[in-house]
Amino acid sequence: MTATAAENPLLEGLNVRPRPEPCTLVIFGASGDLTQRKLMPALYALAVRHLLPERFAIVGAARSDMSDEDFRERMKEAVQEFARDDFRQDVWDTLAEGMRYTTLVGSENQDEDSLGRLLDEVDRERATEGNHVYYFAVPPAAIAALVREVAARKSEKGWTRLIIEKPFGHDLDSARALNALLRERFDESEVFRIDHYLGKETVQNMLALRFANGIFEPIWNRQFIDHVQITVAESIGIEGRAAFYEHAGALRDVFQNHLLQLVALTAMEPPIDFTSESVRNEKVKVLRSLHTPGPKSVVRGQYGRGFVDGEEVPGYREEEGVSRDTGTETFVAAKLYVDNWRWADTPFYVRTGKRLARRETTIAIQFKRAPHPPFEEVAAEALRPNVLLIHVQPNEGMSLAIGAKAPGLGLSIRTVHMDFLYGSAFREGLPEAYERLILDAMLGDATLFTRADEIEEQWALVDAIAAPWQRDRPAFPNYAAGTWGPPSADDLVHRDGRSWRRH
Amino acid sequence: MAQALIDDWNGEDTSIAEIERELGKLRDSSLLPGASNMRTSVMTHCAWVPRRWLDAAEQTLAGLADRHPSRTVILIPAPEEPDGLDAQLAVRCYPAGDRHVCGEVLELTLRGNRVEAPASIVLPLLISDLPVFCRFRGEPPFGEAPWEQLVDIADRVIVDSGEWDELRYDELRASFDTAAISDIAWARLEPWRVLLAGRWPEIAEQEIRIAGPPADAALLRGWLASRLRRTIRPVAAADELTVKLGGETVAPPRGEVRSPSDLLSAELDHFARDRVYEEAVAAA
Ligand SMILES: NC(=O)c1ccc[n+]([C@@H]2O[C@H](COP(=O)([O-])OP(=O)(O)OC[C@H]3O[C@@H](n4cnc5c(N)ncnc54)[C@H](OP(=O)(O)O)[C@@H]3O)[C@@H](O)[C@H]2O)c1
Repeated sequence: MTATAAENPLLEGLNVRPRPEPCTLVIFGASGDLTQRKLMPALYALAVRHLLPERFAIVGAARSDMSDEDFRERMKEAVQEFARDDFRQDVWDTLAEGMRYTTLVGSENQDEDSLGRLLDEVDRERATEGNHVYYFAVPPAAIAALVREVAARKSEKGWTRLIIEKPFGHDLDSARALNALLRERFDESEVFRIDHYLGKETVQNMLALRFANGIFEPIWNRQFIDHVQITVAESIGIEGRAAFYEHAGALRDVFQNHLLQLVALTAMEPPIDFTSESVRNEKVKVLRSLHTPGPKSVVRGQYGRGFVDGEEVPGYREEEGVSRDTGTETFVAAKLYVDNWRWADTPFYVRTGKRLARRETTIAIQFKRAPHPPFEEVAAEALRPNVLLIHVQPNEGMSLAIGAKAPGLGLSIRTVHMDFLYGSAFREGLPEAYERLILDAMLGDATLFTRADEIEEQWALVDAIAAPWQRDRPAFPNYAAGTWGPPSADDLVHRDGRSWRRH
Repeated sequence: MAQALIDDWNGEDTSIAEIERELGKLRDSSLLPGASNMRTSVMTHCAWVPRRWLDAAEQTLAGLADRHPSRTVILIPAPEEPDGLDAQLAVRCYPAGDRHVCGEVLELTLRGNRVEAPASIVLPLLISDLPVFCRFRGEPPFGEAPWEQLVDIADRVIVDSGEWDELRYDELRASFDTAAISDIAWARLEPWRVLLAGRWPEIAEQEIRIAGPPADAALLRGWLASRLRRTIRPVAAADELTVKLGGETVAPPRGEVRSPSDLLSAELDHFARDRVYEEAVAAA
């Protein structure tokens, strides 16, 4: 149904969610972890909700040898283990009917042949009209060769879209090179760079909070806000991904993408509308105005032995596959400034790390203190500044810390929290980020994906931070697993007379 | 569905003041040791439920469970009984993250003359600043005090014309300017509407024949007549809705049949007036 209500009077008032046009989703890396834990469960959730295109096919591709049947069986197990909905045979059968697998072999020409032939066949069988979405769930090193192949195969018939996983490059040069390669054959509107944080409901709720409420925007600036703290903390270690993590570290794994995107959403100006270009234009302005912090404003850390959930866990250097004297950081904290009128002199303290005290992603907006508390006997400690806390995960929601009178004679003030738990007001299960993102890509909506210029600004900042790190060897490990990072992270904030939020 | 914790209180011949006091106590006692409970509300949900609809209403509400945390006020009219007000109160808490979210269900029996003044009972029990949804089970008492008063209070009134003995759409239309009105029978037709919209543009010219249960068939006919701006043949009675376009029977929409709770839940998410429905009713 492509007509609009203006043409078709029967559509008026019908909330028909646009269904993507018929297409085939090609998953490179179909034998991998991401496909099994995230992509397949997300596709199944979309199938349960009738959100997939009416004519749809999935083609898995990787170097491992597998038959169509093996592939379906593996994907079925993945759905049974990881999907958020109960397993339903009828839904599965419909989905599995359109599932095929092809083995990618060494030589590029042969690949092109087998995958190209299979795609023609599937397009015919499933009437998917030559529309192809390619999902690159492969290690970064494998992307360029596959992009070239897809470019060579790009058909005149139907559209082609590419979904590219993070990390997008490992520094500014490599990201630029990959962007240049993509630009050779693809338009920016055909490229969807994933930062799955943007697919999270609470991250989008940040936009609703700021721009759907009249009370926040007038005070969302340097005049009323003392500082902002953003924490992306994980309690897990590297989960066997040493080969990847040794090269990435916390700076490239999380700071470069999720953390900087959260900064951009918190600090951006109101977009004129919610189209992909308007939103991303505003975000990139923030990324461009992020002031490169001096070496003193960045702290890195690496975890040593410690306790998590009451159990002793090894230090990073003791993890399998990690070199005994590695200098890779598992923690970064930084003080950032956004150089514009709204935020001048307002610090954004950000931190991320592995094996921290608990898993949580929060954005805390700390307002300035009441200028002159007219209460006597109030210990300064008891009268705390207001904090608006946005919980991105877990327990999605937000809370506002306000001072209230404690019951009794006299006027003593206590801080209380007004809570809004997302799950308590809207009890529908929250969709997984990947469901939203895969569907948006099939619909051609890039609002929640990172644009080429954003990626490059993010890497420029990361390169500037990492450059001085080459010169000296830090004394690692410098924090125990299960704590909130190295003491130097506290110093970073204490120097300014502030402190990290208490948890 | 999450396990609910329930705490309750019953009172005969009670008053609003007593109900409010007891509700406050229930809220305090539903606090679990060591955990804080939250009362999160997105609306006050009131339901006018004649006794013969009570079981069905309770089932629908139970199916709604924790989807729309609200204060639910069920009003049961008992005009033939001696004057008075009876109440059963329950606070239900559902786990949410590391705490519980609580909502309240107030089942009030309006005996004798209390039936004539439901607004004075509901008004003090509304949660301030939140929208009020009012569901009428069965055929609403059009033209009578309870209908007039509750329509006045509600932001949105929900009926199911499929539950009516007679299709009193003219009387329903009289309230369109006072409250936004939803009809569950209309909501049930949505898959049909999506399906038939897919038959545009041929459907504009084709002969259309509709048979089905009275409300569904009448609304579908009214909708097609008002949207396509043409007359459509009168409907025939049947148990199942069927539509013939140009002599060919249209295969009914696929997909699951939505439960009464799902249908009500979807209506509780809508706030604005539904002009397409209003025009369909006018043409029905
Ligand atoms: N796992 C996650 O939760 C997660 C989260 C965010 C981002 N990512 C990103 O997603 C991508 C995939 O991650 P993953 O965890 O799924 O990795 P993985 O488990 O190692 O899987 C990698 C997949 O790529 C295939 N592959 C490797 N080299 C290839 C080549 N040269 N040509 C074609 N296919 C090749 C592998 O299959 P064969 O060996 O059979 O070819 C395998 O299917 C990575 O870029 C990662 O950074 C993953």
